[in-house]
Amino acid sequence: MTDVLEVRNLKTYFYTDEGIVKAVDDVSFSVPKGRTLGLVGESGCGKSVTAMSITRLVSPPGRIVGGEILLNGRDLLSMSEQEMRQVRGAQISMIFQEPMTALNPVLSVGFQIAEAVLAHEKVSRREAWSRAVEAMKAVAIPDPEKRAKDYPHQLSGGMRQRIMIAMALVCHPALVIADEPTTALDVTIQAQILELLDSLREQYHLSLILISHDLGVIAEVAETVAVMYAGKIVEIGPAMDVFHNPKHPYTEGLLRSVPRLGSSVQKKDRLEVIEGMVPNLLHLPEGCSFAARCYKRTVECTERPILLEHIAEQEVRCIHAR
Amino acid sequence: MLAEAEPLLSVRNLKKYFPIRGGVLSRVSAYVKAVDDISFDINKGETFGLVGESGCGKTTAGRAILRLLQPDAGTIRFDGIDLLGLRKQELRRKRRDMQIIFQDPYASLNPRMTIRTIVGEPFAIHGLASGTEREHLVADLLKTVGLDPVVMRRYPHEFSGGQRQRIGIARALALKPKLIVADEPVSALDVSIQAQIINLLADLQQQFGLTYLFISHAIPVIEHISTRIGVMYLGKLVEVGTSAQICLAPKHPYTQALLSAVPIPDPAARKQRIVLRGDVPTPINPPAGCRFHTRCPIAVDRCKVEEPPLREIEEGRDAACHLL
Repeated sequence: MTDVLEVRNLKTYFYTDEGIVKAVDDVSFSVPKGRTLGLVGESGCGKSVTAMSITRLVSPPGRIVGGEILLNGRDLLSMSEQEMRQVRGAQISMIFQEPMTALNPVLSVGFQIAEAVLAHEKVSRREAWSRAVEAMKAVAIPDPEKRAKDYPHQLSGGMRQRIMIAMALVCHPALVIADEPTTALDVTIQAQILELLDSLREQYHLSLILISHDLGVIAEVAETVAVMYAGKIVEIGPAMDVFHNPKHPYTEGLLRSVPRLGSSVQKKDRLEVIEGMVPNLLHLPEGCSFAARCYKRTVECTERPILLEHIAEQEVRCIHAR
Repeated sequence: MLAEAEPLLSVRNLKKYFPIRGGVLSRVSAYVKAVDDISFDINKGETFGLVGESGCGKTTAGRAILRLLQPDAGTIRFDGIDLLGLRKQELRRKRRDMQIIFQDPYASLNPRMTIRTIVGEPFAIHGLASGTEREHLVADLLKTVGLDPVVMRRYPHEFSGGQRQRIGIARALALKPKLIVADEPVSALDVSIQAQIINLLADLQQQFGLTYLFISHAIPVIEHISTRIGVMYLGKLVEVGTSAQICLAPKHPYTQALLSAVPIPDPAARKQRIVLRGDVPTPINPPAGCRFHTRCPIAVDRCKVEEPPLREIEEGRDAACHLL
């Protein structure tokens, strides 16, 4: 299987007044054609900065300081800004969490989708408009010809998110990055959107990176799962393995601490917790960043940086994983 | 914990409508029927979970019960007293017994106050303790919620979301309330912190014999923490039962669809779900008959014209559906 995207040793640091924040530190993964990678982690773990780095939209004081990002074999980091503009929206597109802030309130949604076509292809306005209507049809918006003339405020949250998806797909990109695409939506609408994303991925052989803090959403659509903690991938592997046989204590703790549907079969009074808090990215410890909260912690954990190691199908950043 | 003969809180036919004004004369042109005729009981020591999607009226219900919003109709009996019959002074005294924890730990703490002032404010308002006595009480409260009392001199911005929520809980506990309305108390928190706060709430309930009205859209959280659950849709309760009844064997078609939409953190559990078509209709002009009929997979003609009452369909379970 060919990899549409390959990220190697990506480092994105923020040079703040208080010091250097290593928001993404040595992150590597690849996304094969037609597959979905789930990127999961808690706030501040670096999952969104990873997405912004792939599209080269990191703004100062942030900077990509190392690594390679290969899209169909071409290194995005060595491209000029001019070239990069042709990549964004056409070959890689993004879907954001809050469709209301991502859409322009004073332009009709059809116009905004058509704009994406006009930016990348030499087509007439009329043709761009019909492409927009077509894209709206693909994301199952009822009566797309009429709805295309609507403004964002006239649509519900779920419909707005469909518009975002239509916009992301209208230029037939190779890779779509969806950053918390359903977090602002209700569960019944979330189910609709996840189903839609998955069917579009299949239909158009899209590669998808789905970023979420919600383990349920990730389990729903991802074939490969990467778990991030404090700027690093701590575990990556096939979804089945990561969810059924987590090897990193953080993944394990995360999976245990979420209340599950059906828990009233045997009611427990307490949830299992990961003690403590996420460390301050300005002052990360020398060794494993999770060590302070980890039940497997030993002296070795804090002595030197811990590397990702292959264990069966997974890669795990923990010396006690074996 | 055994339920006492009389419930701690008894809500009957509660209604809260918000007028929509329009035109030059600001005449009332329509109403948002946020809470439209709901009734339920909460027994002492239990946790009643109120679940539903955004706009279903769960938050409005919580606030109307505390009379933070003035209900338009209905009765609320709390601890043997009719809350809606109380005059301002009496209500104020009664408020000691009922407190609220808010969703957003960033917006619910005054950024210009120290933690000492925030947690000590309930004592100040009710003229209860002052000086060193208050100081000791605040220190004790902070310890109860798992914070070091030295944080008293600090300001809200110095704390993480989880810690702020602990501060909010300490403030709610200050006057030893009987009932706490917890409105999405963990929704803004990260997964690993969520579990810590849920455990803290459970511990406090045991320790102080608290009764909770727990409002949330997160069904697994509601199931874990609640004794009984009420499911709301467009201002109405559609199903009420024990948490096992609701979550293991839901009967109302909306509850069934809602539960089947919850993503399960297990890739092997990808399942056939009941995907509801369309969006929730607006509560300004809710559909006639059963409010769910526009999205219901099993609706019949009767559902379009006749509103189903909430009635007992089995021991301990009420549902509002013609087809049950």
